[in-house]
Amino acid sequence: MDSLGATLLFVVMAPGVVFAVLALLWLLGWVPSERVLSRITGVTFSASIFALARIIWKLGATGAPSVTVMLGNWFAVRDYHFPLVLMADRLSLPFLGLTVLLSGLIGQFSATYLHRDRGFVRFFLLLHLFAFGSLLAFAAGSFDLLVGGWEMVGITSVLLIAFFQQRTAPVENGLRVFAVYRACDIGLLLGVFAMHRWGGTASFASGLPQMTGTQSLTVCLLLLLAAAGKAAQIPFSGWLPRAMEGPTPSSAIFYGAISIHAGAYLLLRIQPMLIHSPTASAMVIAIGIITAIHGTIVGRASADAKTSLAYASLTQVGVVFVEIGIGWKWIAVAHILGHATVRTLQFLRAPSMLHDYHKMHSAIGGEFSPTGKHLEDLFPKPLQLWLYRWALDRGHLDTILDRIVIHPLMGLSKLFARLDSWGLGQSVSRHEEVALSMQSSPGRGGN
Amino acid sequence: MPVPGALSVVPISVPWLAAILVVGIGRQPRAIGFVAASVSVLASSFLLHAAPVKTSLGEALMVLFSCLTVVAMLVLPRRDCNPVTIAGMLFLLGSTLLAYSTENLLVLLVAWILTTVPFFLEQLFRADTWRPRLSLLLSSAALGLAIGIIAVNGHGMSIDRLIGQNPGGIAVFGLLVAAVIFRKGICPAHAWVADAAEGGPAIPTALLLNGHFGALLVAKLIVPLFPHATRDLFPVLSYLALATALYVAIRALTENSPRRLLAFLALSQSACILAGLESQTVEGMTGAFAHWFVVTVSTMGLFGILRLLEVRFGENLTASQHLGLAEHAPRLAVFFFVFGLALVGLPGTLSFCSQDLLIHGTLATHPLTGLLLPIAIAMNAVSVFRLFTRLFLGKRRTGFTVMADALPRERWILTAGVLFVVLGGLFPNAIVALRPVEVEASTQGVDSQTDTSHRPPTAPSPIPKLRQSRRSSAQP
Repeated sequence: MDSLGATLLFVVMAPGVVFAVLALLWLLGWVPSERVLSRITGVTFSASIFALARIIWKLGATGAPSVTVMLGNWFAVRDYHFPLVLMADRLSLPFLGLTVLLSGLIGQFSATYLHRDRGFVRFFLLLHLFAFGSLLAFAAGSFDLLVGGWEMVGITSVLLIAFFQQRTAPVENGLRVFAVYRACDIGLLLGVFAMHRWGGTASFASGLPQMTGTQSLTVCLLLLLAAAGKAAQIPFSGWLPRAMEGPTPSSAIFYGAISIHAGAYLLLRIQPMLIHSPTASAMVIAIGIITAIHGTIVGRASADAKTSLAYASLTQVGVVFVEIGIGWKWIAVAHILGHATVRTLQFLRAPSMLHDYHKMHSAIGGEFSPTGKHLEDLFPKPLQLWLYRWALDRGHLDTILDRIVIHPLMGLSKLFARLDSWGLGQSVSRHEEVALSMQSSPGRGGN
Repeated sequence: MPVPGALSVVPISVPWLAAILVVGIGRQPRAIGFVAASVSVLASSFLLHAAPVKTSLGEALMVLFSCLTVVAMLVLPRRDCNPVTIAGMLFLLGSTLLAYSTENLLVLLVAWILTTVPFFLEQLFRADTWRPRLSLLLSSAALGLAIGIIAVNGHGMSIDRLIGQNPGGIAVFGLLVAAVIFRKGICPAHAWVADAAEGGPAIPTALLLNGHFGALLVAKLIVPLFPHATRDLFPVLSYLALATALYVAIRALTENSPRRLLAFLALSQSACILAGLESQTVEGMTGAFAHWFVVTVSTMGLFGILRLLEVRFGENLTASQHLGLAEHAPRLAVFFFVFGLALVGLPGTLSFCSQDLLIHGTLATHPLTGLLLPIAIAMNAVSVFRLFTRLFLGKRRTGFTVMADALPRERWILTAGVLFVVLGGLFPNAIVALRPVEVEASTQGVDSQTDTSHRPPTAPSPIPKLRQSRRSSAQP
């Protein structure tokens, strides 16, 4: 392993090692102070930023397309290998840089924002785990490894949604998001399996595996399912407002910057395959367009700042999907970078937005004059009202999902419970309560 | 390195003698149990180390189960730690190790029955419903009948000599499969597992379930003895296992009793082991053996933590509402979360690797029914997370007189468990490599039988071949 490879390994592993050490020490009884935690976080991400800058500098100076680190096989069984390959190329480097930079910034912001919060240690541990998962997903040289990072991002995302664990709504919303993530991740698992089966490998360090047209289409659609779930695209958009229950810094980095764009990154990775599959490309474009329209309509009827921002993010990610489907790879990357940066800033400013408005109103000596000009005014009045109702229920997406998937599944489970209670003579009513709390209207954000 | 014959007896006899001692003197049961189980760990480890080729399923499982019993001894709350319980657990340890180590059918039957005896006795671990007793009885009867038919047909009792002989034909094969179904809790005989977990003592029941005798019977008897029937009829059991994994996963979604819910999760994940073993692919079988380790450690950790919670916060814990116990026991919450997600494929734990292999192996053999496996695992993950959120998150509860988090004794042993699943995940080859030679040989055997129809029907299976060669190489 050359020095550049070692540097990449350091960038990816640093937050993971910090998480592992701190978590183990905490389990054994040590509780770090806020100052120690924030300093460790600052040093870790600062060092990572410099290390990543070195990689970018060296690659730019030498003109090399990428730096690859082969760490052997994680495990190998006859013909099946799980390669540990890290790779930083022109696609992954922007995402790696974004992750390291924003994680460091969020760490510094949160040291003040969450000062004396009961979950301070938990938040920072999860921030490190999230950064590790993201870096692993973006620096993975194979889809196998990408799955590992991808799932870590999902788990930390859910744990941070349920961060304010004393209240029921965040916890239940976290459960709902977790269920959606797991359901969509089946697509990723099956897609990777299909690549191994048909292409012989799931590594993309030396190009995507070669497959026939139908096989490529199948893989693309499976991965599209995973990408749509992670990026909250239609029909999975219902989880996004629920995710706003988490603390603002985590909302900023997850749903304004990194996690929400992970789906787009996955599609960018398989873009050479997408280009040769018009059906899959058309589906990506269609999903993107529908999501963008859905996001902008629902966002207009959202009553709180974070949810509005979340739907604004959704709209932009929908547009990014369209760009990827069309084949504008680098426009999509530039769009993601710009969007992630601006949206993170907006999320971080959201709690003090009212204060900002008051200051501006004081400065101009009164309130802003409403223009009264809105795009929806172009529609006829009945359609406006219908759209308003539709937007208030967030496109009925959760209701549809409940009726098509959740309720039948719960009904089946209760039927099984009745069958299982045969011969015991006990009341079935103890099993009657539907376990997954699937409220139609998610709790509002604002923490 | 030759192994002294006496040493082979130590891991089995010491727990049995200690069980008698505990009941006899009636004092210091935890200390005696811990020492006896530790001796079993050491002796089993020596046996594993002394094996010429480190590919021994039996010795590896002996080490695993001995370690599990040590964990159980330390996690067992003081309230449950009486001489009778400890003696029962030691008896279970000795009987289980006897089943793992034997190469004789009659001894296997005796060990099989002995492991069930404590669950029939009211003074020990008997559940308050009849289904566990019936299932255990039926499984023992099925195995006894199968072995009886083999004996009547004039075959010997040595497993080695029966390899590939198809002893007793389809009747014995069917009886052995029935024994697996009843013991393992495969649908439709699955309900007893939840009954036993809810109505019996949590930790001893977890020990019983983690013996995985159903999977043991598949690996030790069915595959080696019936290579052709395995090829032709095994898919049926595979489908049943996959159906069980999904059925129980769906069933768990609305279960509100934490013990039953954990039992369903353990059962669903255990069914994945069978599905992997029956996939007849090297990935699936290796994944199954790795998953065996994961399920064993994780479910023991989960049942142990649940029992600790019951002792602290009352036995009426429910998943129908948020109990907010993380405020009182944050470390137990973290342990529970890690063990729970380690059971269902958390990245960075051993189950991530084992399930990766399982899914690949099962899908390769059964492209359609294999799809049930990732779906079942995803549902199990949701159930684990739901149980975690219901038990530990939510508004802080008040009114408890005892609100201790994990005690140092519990903390250290649970940390060891977490380290096992995490380090196993970081360095999975240590576990995966335990079986490759035998697994590859067995799958090659199946492949070659599939490819070459002229192979004689009595051709021995590769697994015992390896055992024989190991044994012969062990002799000077």
